[in-house]
Amino acid sequence: MVKKSYRKLKVARDLTRMMKAYYAKMKIASRLQPVAWVSSGAPVEVLVALGVLPLYPENYGAILGAQRAAVPLIQEAEARGYSPDLCSYATGHLGSVFAPEKAPMRGLPRPDLLVASNNICGTVVKWYEALSDHLGVPLFVLDTPYVHGPEVQDHVVTYVAAQIEAFIAWAEKQTGRRLKQKRFVQTLALSNEAVDLWREIREKCVYRPSPLNAPDLFTQMAPIVVLRGTKQCVEYYRKLKAEVEERIEQGIGAVPDERYRLLWDNIAIWPGLFRFYHLFSRAGACFVCDTYTHAWSTGVQTDDPVEGLARAYTAVYINMSVQARARMMVEMAQRFQADGAVLHANRSCKPYSLGQHDFRLSVMAQAGVPAMILEADMCDTRVYAEGAIRTRVEAFLEMLRES
Amino acid sequence: MTERNAKLVEAGEVLEEISGWPLARWPERFPGARAFGYLNTHVPEEVLHAAGLTPVHVFGQRRTLEQAETRLPAFACWLVRSALDAAMAGELDFMAGMAFAHTCDTVQALVDIWQLAVPSMPVLTLDTPVALDAAGARRFFVAALGLFCDQVAALAGRPVKDDDLRASIVLHNDIRRLVARLYALSDRLPSWTLLAALRAGHLAPRETYRRLLADLVAALEAEPSSVAPGAPRLIVVGAHLDDTSLYRAVAEAGGHVVDDLLDLGRLYYSELVAEEGDPLASLADRYLAQVPIAAKTHSSRRRDEALVALVQARQADGVVLSPQKFCEPHGFDYVTLKSALDRAGVPHLLVELEQAQVTGQVRTRLGAFVEMLC
Repeated sequence: MVKKSYRKLKVARDLTRMMKAYYAKMKIASRLQPVAWVSSGAPVEVLVALGVLPLYPENYGAILGAQRAAVPLIQEAEARGYSPDLCSYATGHLGSVFAPEKAPMRGLPRPDLLVASNNICGTVVKWYEALSDHLGVPLFVLDTPYVHGPEVQDHVVTYVAAQIEAFIAWAEKQTGRRLKQKRFVQTLALSNEAVDLWREIREKCVYRPSPLNAPDLFTQMAPIVVLRGTKQCVEYYRKLKAEVEERIEQGIGAVPDERYRLLWDNIAIWPGLFRFYHLFSRAGACFVCDTYTHAWSTGVQTDDPVEGLARAYTAVYINMSVQARARMMVEMAQRFQADGAVLHANRSCKPYSLGQHDFRLSVMAQAGVPAMILEADMCDTRVYAEGAIRTRVEAFLEMLRES
Repeated sequence: MTERNAKLVEAGEVLEEISGWPLARWPERFPGARAFGYLNTHVPEEVLHAAGLTPVHVFGQRRTLEQAETRLPAFACWLVRSALDAAMAGELDFMAGMAFAHTCDTVQALVDIWQLAVPSMPVLTLDTPVALDAAGARRFFVAALGLFCDQVAALAGRPVKDDDLRASIVLHNDIRRLVARLYALSDRLPSWTLLAALRAGHLAPRETYRRLLADLVAALEAEPSSVAPGAPRLIVVGAHLDDTSLYRAVAEAGGHVVDDLLDLGRLYYSELVAEEGDPLASLADRYLAQVPIAAKTHSSRRRDEALVALVQARQADGVVLSPQKFCEPHGFDYVTLKSALDRAGVPHLLVELEQAQVTGQVRTRLGAFVEMLC
């Protein structure tokens, strides 16, 4: 019998139930309240406080990937002229808009608003423009300049804050609702609370054995992405934190017999959420930290909410320089006592993937551990070379064994 | 050969020579000039020029990659991979530095990687608003231009004075007016000469370029159309073309390029800068008034509408859409432009460019496309 190498969280069932309810509810709720499709780095707290239901095409893209349902939809987009080289979240989701009859849940309910922020990539701007044209729905683009230097400069904060003001006015006009300051601040507080909990949970992985592994982190991140700013999100993460603490007290690791602790860089390989990561866990290798779920870890200062949002949403991980990210990755590898790093060169995501050669060099030189770049895709199984990946993973594990 | 005709041939040949001159040997072609590299359309060359520098565009290079593969994945576009490779090989060491304006995800990462890979070369960055009509965009961009001026002045070892900046604005406006005239006369010169003339404006010292361009335009004014009767009039869309091979292939197929929506062409030379008032504010206003490049956006000033309007204004018969492989902005844009052209009943052909040259397969497809239009 194959040894079980994945230990399921007890709260996982609650998460499945909650996410199913979220997606079931969206069909009904979309008839009762305005719906916005938003990029994962959009200042969603404004919309939540206005009673708008935010839906996340990127999360939908991840679901398509995890269900191995992306390729037929990507092909729908390709049939309309989109190149196979483009982001597979975008082409998968666009495919679900073009051919809802082929899409899980028949796609997301039609939006009333579209909101994209380029703090995660420039691709969302083009993707949402295409959606806006196709659906005839108004689009707001929030421009958050990339941070080449060590910190966000004042004129950038002023610029992004001016746009947040404009965004609030735009969203009010589109929905015919007024943003109530009290509710806005409450939503920000809930968002911060969830972000803090999520950060604390992830930090618990410094323990040996680590209570969580990459597939846990990738599935458990769903609420911080799609339910940010709600009570439900905070309550869920309290439960998760309690279970994680329980695992630590009892010395239960996510991977039985943890032997190697690894750092993961980039978006998950969703279609391989179990099969791919199992290659590691069955050898006792646990991904104890990563740069993807880390992206939702900055709280918003609430004394001046607009400026707070401007700062928080500009300084997201992926909007920071290669140099800054290399430093963070080294620091992460050291703090979590990683024995190695796996960097997923994700054909779909240039912001995450460009710079990885330098990340690899930094991790090797400064954290003193081996690091490997592995080419794949977050959703598109057509570019996942199973045999080649297996060989490379085995060679990497062999190297860990010897070092 | 008449005297005018001789001048036309001469100016065209010089511009073609500049366009095709190997970048690594730039100092031999323009001795005495202090080159400063830039990679994309929105670097304000007036600022570099006002500091006594000669802005030189680093286009994609025709080369076998040697070192860039150790810094960039294969799914980064050829422009950034080949440019970084040239820099890592020391071929751009003659430049006093490189300037990058924010464009796309790939270039924003390249800027950081460049500094790690070629630490000896000073690198300047300029933030540019992505949404041209965003609230606060003008104020932000004026501030960013101010910071850029400070960086340029520090490197050049002299301040960027308002008077020098104004003189530079006048020079560049002259060039833009001449280029507008060149486009109007584009049916009087070979397609590849048009592209070579546009490319040369990124590569030659600008005073030299203004003189050459003025000669070319003056000579063209008296020329008859050189388009063969019945040859389809085409418009080319894309970002940057690394050489004139695509235009040559169009001509060989029997077509004639009359205009473009290229970052290096129409978009680079469009809109004048106000010659009065605060020069940095004027530079910002010009940027914000432009048709956005594919990586930028504007809520109502659309690229597809600009393209269809250009097709109509130039009475073009078809459009060649030539995005670079792995370019996300142009990859998405292609579908939007294609749809608009379909609605307007304008034939179009997709020619995705992988490296700095046009392949035999592309020639065959261009041939079939032009034949269909005839």
